[in-house]
Amino acid sequence: MKNWLTQNLWRHVIGISICLFSLFPLYLVVISSFSSSGSLQLTSFIPTEISFSNYKLLFNDPTIPYLTWVKNSLIIAGAVAVLSVAIGSASAFAFSRLQFKGRKLGIQLLLLVQMFPAILAISAVYVIMERVYKFAPGIGLGTQTGLLLVYLGGAMGVNIWLLKGFVDSIPAELDEAAKIDGASAVQTFWLIFVPLASPVLAVVALLSFIGTFNEFILARLFLVDMESRTVAVGLQQFIGGQYSENWGPFAAGSILASIPIVIIFLSLQKYIVSGLTAGSVKG
Amino acid sequence: MNFLIRGRVALVLKIVIVSLISAILLMLTQSAFAQREYVIAAYLAVTVFILALTYLTKISIPLKFFIPGILLLTAFVVGPILYTVAMSGFNYKTGNIISKPEAINLIKLQGTEASPDGIAFDLKLGKIGSEPALLVSDITNLKYFVSTGKTRIEVAAADVTLNEYGVAITAPNFTALSDSELSGADKAYSVIKFKYDGVYFIALEGLETGIVSRQILDYQASNDQFVNLVDGTLYKDNGRGNYSSENDSSAILEPGWRAPVWFENYSKIFTDSRVREPLVRVFIWTVAFALLTVLTTFALGLLLALALNKPIRGRRIYRSILVLPYAMPSVMSILIWGGMFNTEFGAINTLFGTDIAWFSDPNFARVAVILVNLWLGFPYFYLISSGSLQAIPSELQEAAAIDGANPRQIFRKITLPLLLQILSPLLIASFAFNFNNFNLIYLLTGGGPRNDLDGEIAGATDILISYTYKIAFGSSTQDLGLASAISLIIFILIASISLYSLKKSKVLESFA
Repeated sequence: MKNWLTQNLWRHVIGISICLFSLFPLYLVVISSFSSSGSLQLTSFIPTEISFSNYKLLFNDPTIPYLTWVKNSLIIAGAVAVLSVAIGSASAFAFSRLQFKGRKLGIQLLLLVQMFPAILAISAVYVIMERVYKFAPGIGLGTQTGLLLVYLGGAMGVNIWLLKGFVDSIPAELDEAAKIDGASAVQTFWLIFVPLASPVLAVVALLSFIGTFNEFILARLFLVDMESRTVAVGLQQFIGGQYSENWGPFAAGSILASIPIVIIFLSLQKYIVSGLTAGSVKG
Repeated sequence: MNFLIRGRVALVLKIVIVSLISAILLMLTQSAFAQREYVIAAYLAVTVFILALTYLTKISIPLKFFIPGILLLTAFVVGPILYTVAMSGFNYKTGNIISKPEAINLIKLQGTEASPDGIAFDLKLGKIGSEPALLVSDITNLKYFVSTGKTRIEVAAADVTLNEYGVAITAPNFTALSDSELSGADKAYSVIKFKYDGVYFIALEGLETGIVSRQILDYQASNDQFVNLVDGTLYKDNGRGNYSSENDSSAILEPGWRAPVWFENYSKIFTDSRVREPLVRVFIWTVAFALLTVLTTFALGLLLALALNKPIRGRRIYRSILVLPYAMPSVMSILIWGGMFNTEFGAINTLFGTDIAWFSDPNFARVAVILVNLWLGFPYFYLISSGSLQAIPSELQEAAAIDGANPRQIFRKITLPLLLQILSPLLIASFAFNFNNFNLIYLLTGGGPRNDLDGEIAGATDILISYTYKIAFGSSTQDLGLASAISLIIFILIASISLYSLKKSKVLESFA
């Protein structure tokens, strides 16, 4: 018994206390979402009432197109994830496997470009998309397609870099063998590389998805229409006003929007961590 | 799959896709050109050319893999970066946003003065033939005339019809604008000087009244200068985006334009104390914030990893709960923490029975920022530390134990150094990430608290990137030129830190 205490008790003490630290804000959000007061107060640890009014508000109030916001977020983040991985993996494959002039320079330039604080190029992006809007209203400022294009461009640097790390770890013997058998570079890519790397591609896609889902500034700048907003931008307006903080619907909306992300994250934890350690930090 | 990749089907498919995309891009090129967006049109045209060249010829196989990525990167990352570089060489700020011809037009338009006796007329917008004209009614003297940019034609009272206010609405040869024409006419009509008498003309004030005015500032294109017709003062291009008086260089005409000032924005950062002092303060806090965040998140993550590095009961549950802060979308967690730090109703004050104004006091605000970032970041270091702990060969620790080292010594002399060696690239990456952690600061404190009184825009928790954002997009004044210059300096800082760390971790060697 004494042995157990010295060996394991401190581990549990640390584990439990930090678990409480992690859970406290989340618990608070959950009870706020079931409270009708609309505040983020801690009146008691055990909720005194369970009201679904916040959830009802999200789904029934015609001025709050919550489901549309969620749909927008899922579509934009999903499209960014799939497209950026499709385009990025091709570039990563070329960087990792093909020999050509300027390869080293290309990688270094990519690395350099990626280090530019993206937030600070916002004004330039804004001006460019404002001009695009003048001749192509479908893809300019204020449209989801425009935002998608900007996200795609922004995701390129990180994703190519990340995917290149993975491609490097796939044994080169495999595609050398394919080459000897007479496969072209394009065939090697489709028939050897893509099947081998598909779990990795899925992880990078997932990271892009989460990253895009979390993006706030560009989305707020771009999507002015109530109907075209993403869920983060849409929900923020409940608490954005200085005197009109309404935490109830925000809490309810955040919980619903987070559940799928959290589930995906927890179930693919192992793969995500390996992806993160390969060189990126989640935002 | 196989048949798609080889043979004719693939070829046909490829040609169809390439031509489809090219067609769309060509259409966009054309409309961009029509709207005089020449840079964008040129970019699109080059894109079409490169696409066709790459995919329909065998010029380069690597290019086939690169092109889509490169095109996107060029348009939405490299392009904006170059634009930022260009902006940093201009005095691009509030009061100097437009181009020089636009500024000249505006100065001319605003450089007028109402006549001393303050005569104003009711009027009706319309046309004579195709020329814009005003039907002016002098209600007090019951006189009417039609005025264009060139002439003034008197109209006898008998020839006009009046509305219930006594304002003439029809006259011979004069066609009034319809309501739909009227809504768009404002711009065209407000720049015309409708004839009144001598140097005086009628300037439009809204759509129904006109004020008798005269031009004060006259633009002389041959010398590129403005002259004040009343007192004869000359205003010359001061080379910095404004016309300023010859005698008094601080007397400038508004608005100015964005003029190239080359490296002035950069030199301002180092020499102008109003720019430098807040920037140095913000820089120190940025470094402190990033360092403290890395230290605290790593320490807590490592502590957890050590504690749970044994198959104790409930380890999986612990693990699942501990990564929750990391799995939650961070935008939402940050906003929730913001609410929890509220002074009056916030859960933190309730929990500890305190009454701290977290976001009004600089030091408490800083503590709050670090604490929230600790919550957001420790699971990351927990996950990677526990992975790395398993990667350290246990023989090393066993050997040390046999040599008589106690657990603490083993940790300090063996485990920690090895761990640091493994994790140092990630620690540096985390530093670089937090150095630019815009979302946290922007959504949690907005950079505040700050001293409003002296017009200072840097707050106590502002980091470089949020401060720069405020300079560029602030509510009162916006200085895009200065913000761009600071951005580039941040870029150079981050790039040097990262390149140094990469060189150390030998990633760059593998490029060879």
